[in-house]
Amino acid sequence: MTQEQGESLPGANVYLQRTYDGTSANENGQFILKTKKTGPFDLHIEFMGYEPAVQKIDLKGDTIRINVQMKEAFNQLTAVTITAGTFEAGDKKQAVTITPLDMVTTAGAKGDVYGALQSLPGTTTNGESGRLFVKGGDSEESQTYIDGSLVYVPYNSTAPNLSTRGRFNPFMFKGTIFSTGGYSAEYGQALSSVLLLNTNDLPAEDQFDLSVMSIGVEVAGTKLWKNGAVTGSVTYNNLAPYMNLTTQNYNWIHAPESAKGAVSVKQKTGKTGMFKLYSSFNKDAFTINQENLEPGGSPFDYHLANNNYFMNASWNGHLSEKWAMNSAASFTNNRDDIRFDQTMIGKKIVGTHVKNVFNYLFTEKFSLKFGGELFAKTFAQNVRMPAETHDNSFSNNTLAGFTEAQIYASSKFVTRIGARVEYSDYLRSFKLSPRLSAAYKVTNNSQFSLAYGWFYQNPVDDYLLYTNQLNQERADHYTFSYQSLVNNRTLRIEIYYKYYKNLVKTNGGEFYLPTSYSNLGSGYAKGLDLFWRDNKTIKNGDYWISYSYLDTKRDYRNFPEEAIPTFASKHNLSVVYKHWLNGLRSLAGVNFKYSSPRVYNNPNSPVFNSEQMLPYKSLDLSWSFLYRKNIIIYGAVTNVFGFKNEFGRRYASNTDAGGNYPSAAIEPSSNRFYVVACFITLTRKGEANQLDKIE
Amino acid sequence: MKKIILSLVLFIISFSSMAQKPEFLQTMGETLGQFSTCKNVADFQALGNKFQMIANVENAEWLPLYYQSYCYIIMSFIEQTDAAKKDSYLDVAEKSLTKLIEMAPAEADVFALQALYLTGRLVVNPMERGQEYSGLSGQAVGKALALDASNPRAKLIKLQGDMGAAPYMGLDPKSFCPQAKELLANWDNFKPKSPIHPAWGKDQVEGIVKGCQ
Repeated sequence: MTQEQGESLPGANVYLQRTYDGTSANENGQFILKTKKTGPFDLHIEFMGYEPAVQKIDLKGDTIRINVQMKEAFNQLTAVTITAGTFEAGDKKQAVTITPLDMVTTAGAKGDVYGALQSLPGTTTNGESGRLFVKGGDSEESQTYIDGSLVYVPYNSTAPNLSTRGRFNPFMFKGTIFSTGGYSAEYGQALSSVLLLNTNDLPAEDQFDLSVMSIGVEVAGTKLWKNGAVTGSVTYNNLAPYMNLTTQNYNWIHAPESAKGAVSVKQKTGKTGMFKLYSSFNKDAFTINQENLEPGGSPFDYHLANNNYFMNASWNGHLSEKWAMNSAASFTNNRDDIRFDQTMIGKKIVGTHVKNVFNYLFTEKFSLKFGGELFAKTFAQNVRMPAETHDNSFSNNTLAGFTEAQIYASSKFVTRIGARVEYSDYLRSFKLSPRLSAAYKVTNNSQFSLAYGWFYQNPVDDYLLYTNQLNQERADHYTFSYQSLVNNRTLRIEIYYKYYKNLVKTNGGEFYLPTSYSNLGSGYAKGLDLFWRDNKTIKNGDYWISYSYLDTKRDYRNFPEEAIPTFASKHNLSVVYKHWLNGLRSLAGVNFKYSSPRVYNNPNSPVFNSEQMLPYKSLDLSWSFLYRKNIIIYGAVTNVFGFKNEFGRRYASNTDAGGNYPSAAIEPSSNRFYVVACFITLTRKGEANQLDKIE
Repeated sequence: MKKIILSLVLFIISFSSMAQKPEFLQTMGETLGQFSTCKNVADFQALGNKFQMIANVENAEWLPLYYQSYCYIIMSFIEQTDAAKKDSYLDVAEKSLTKLIEMAPAEADVFALQALYLTGRLVVNPMERGQEYSGLSGQAVGKALALDASNPRAKLIKLQGDMGAAPYMGLDPKSFCPQAKELLANWDNFKPKSPIHPAWGKDQVEGIVKGCQ
C-alpha cells in the first residue's frame, strides 16, 4: 500500500465491507488478510489523511495479490496556506507565531498589543510614537480591525513626541492576524498593514476579575446564561503616584489619568452563529510643562483631554452548508481638546464602518468571497489663537466592493485572486485594486508564498481638512516568502519591494489653500525580514529572534527631495526569551531590542534629514509568578541597563539672534519603566464546588 | 417508579439488541482483549483500526467508536515528540467523539472520554492551551458526573487534572492521595453494564496510590 509518490503507508486499515474481517498494514505498508468468506466483496482501505480506497474483489478460496495506491485527502487545515506578509495566530494552529499570551508576557511590550507586535520582523520601533511602522510605511498606513470592523482611533491620545499605547486590553483577544503586506482584497484603506484582532468566544464560567497595577485598577465581572454571556469592566488609571516615585524626563503638572467603562455581550445563535457586541467609553487627561524653544519664550503647559466612545458589533456564521456570512459594524466618536500657550485646539472624529462578507464554498477546493463596505467619517477641527481662528471640517464616505476566489489546485498549491473597487465621494475618485497571492508547499514542513497587489488609501485628515482636490495615495506590494515549520521551530525569510505613488506633497504655500497640496510624491521601500522561533530546543524555554533590513526613501509631505524618512531605521533586531521555572511557578522573560540610528532634520543644516539619532537599545525583564491558579503577580522593568535613548531633536520655528534655530533633545518620558501588578480571578463554582459533586 | 420502568425497558432493549448479535459481542470481547498486548503507537493504531471496522458494520452501536477514539487518544499520549502528529491523532478522536455525543448523549463514559481527549489537546502545548483546555476538560468531567455521579473514570480524570494543576496552584499533589485511595477502594463497586462496556482505569489509580507511598 503506497501513497502517490510510492512511499508506504504503515498502519492503514484494511477490511472487507460489512464483515469483521480486516487487518492493518505493517511498517512496510504490506498486509495479509485471511478470511473464510467467499464471493464478491468490497475491500476498503482507509488511512488518516488519505481518501478511502475501495477495491472490488472476488473471493474464491485462493490467494489474491493486490496493490493499492492511495490519494492524499484534501484538508484545508493541513493544506498549504498563504503566509507571505502574514503573521497569524489561532487557537488550534501549530504554526503559532505570536499569541495574545505573548502580548502579555513579552518583556518590554508592557501589556500593549502594539508593543508586542514590535518584536516581529517588518516593524520599526519609534520610541517617540509607540505606533506601528511597517516595512517603510508611516504609522497612518496601518489599520486595526476588531472582529471585522475598523477601529478609527486605535491609540490613546498623547502629546507630540511622547509614546502612546493601544486602547485595548490584550486579554480581550483570542487570535491575531498581523499582515505586513499583500493582504486580501477584503481590506482596503491601508497602504502598509492591517492588524485583525478577534475577540474571545464565550467564557467558561461566571467570574470576577480584579487587577491592581502600580498605575491603576481594573474590576471586571462576567455573567453567563444559556449560550450567552455579558462582561462589564471599569478601569481607573493614574500615573501620578508612580511618577512621584521615579525620575521623569518631563515636568508633569497633571500626570496622565484615565477612566474607562466597557461592556461586552456574546450570544451564540443557532448551531454556528456567534453575535458579539463591545462598547466602551474612555476619558483621559494630562498636563505637561514644556520648554519653549522660541527665542525669548517661557515654558508653557500643554494640556490634553480626550473622550473616546467606541462600539462594534459582529455576527458570523453559516447560512447553509455552502454559505457563510460575516457582518460587522463599528462606530467611533473621539474628541481631543488641547490647550497650550495661548492656543486652543478641538479635534473631533465621528466614524462609522459597516461591512458584510459572503463566502460560498463551491467545493472543498474552490471558494468565492465577496462583499461590500462603507467607511463614513467626519473630521472637524477648531483652532483658536489670539490673532486667528480656523474652523474646518470635512466628511467623506468611501464605498467599496470586493471579490476574491481561493483555488486549491492540490493540497500543495493554492492561489487567491481578487479585486477591490472603491469610491470616495469627497475626493470624487474611483479606484480599482487587483490582488494576487499564491503558495506552494515544497515539503510537508516548508513552503514558498508570494503576494502582489495595489493598495489605496485616502490622504491624511490634516490635508483633507483644506482640500478635496487630491487623489488617493497608492502603494504596490511585491512580497516573496519562505517558511518552514519543523517540530515547533519556525523559520521565515521574506523579501519585499514596495513602490509608493500619488503621495501628498506640500509646496510651501499657505496650509489652508487647496493649491498648496498635490499628489506628486513618491517613494519606495525594500527589505529583508527574518524570523526564527523555537520552543523546543530549550526545555521550558521559548525564544524568538527577528531581524529586519530596510532600505527606503520617499518624497512626500514637506520633503524638498527624495530622502530617508524619520521613522525608518535600516537594521532592527529583537530577541525575546521566556522561561518557565517550575519550582518557582514563574514565567521569566527577557527581551533585547536594537534599532540602528534613524535620521532627523536639522533646519540649521543645508541638507534635509541629514542628522543621525542615537541607536535605540533596550533590555527588558519581566516576571510572572503564579501564586495560586487564580492569582498572578507580575513585575516588569524596561531598559534595565539604562541605555541612553534619544529620538532626535525638536527645533523652534524662529531663529535666535545668531541666525540659528534653537533646539532640544527628544527623550523618552523616562529612561526606565517599572510595572508591578496583581491579577485575581474569582469564580463562583470554583474547585471546591466541583469536588463536592464527586464526593 | 417511572424511572425504574424506563430503565428496565432500556435495559431490555439494549440487552435484546445485543443478544441478537453474538458475533458482535464475541468480536468486541476478542478485540478488547488485545488492549493488554498494545505497547506502541502502531499497536494502538492497529487496534483502533479494528474498532473502526466494527463501528462501520455496527453503525448503531456506540462502543466500537468509543474504543476507537480511546485508542487514538492514547496514541497522542504515547507519541513523545511530534506535536503535529499528536494533534492529528486527536483530530481522529475528536471526529469520533462528535458522533458519539450524538449517538449516546446520556452516557457518562462518553463525556469522561471527551474530558480525556481535551486533556490530550492541553498536553500538546500546556503553555498556550493550559488555561482554555483545563476549563473545557473540567466542563466535560462536570457533564459526565452530572449524568452519573458514580462513574469512576470521570473521577479519575478529574483527579489527574487536579494533581497535574496542583504545582501551579501552590498545592502539594500528595494532598489528593486520600481521594485516590478512596477511589481505588470503591472502584469495584461500580459495575459496568456489560462485559464490553468501559472498565479501564483501575491500574491508573493503583499507579497514583503507589506514587503516594
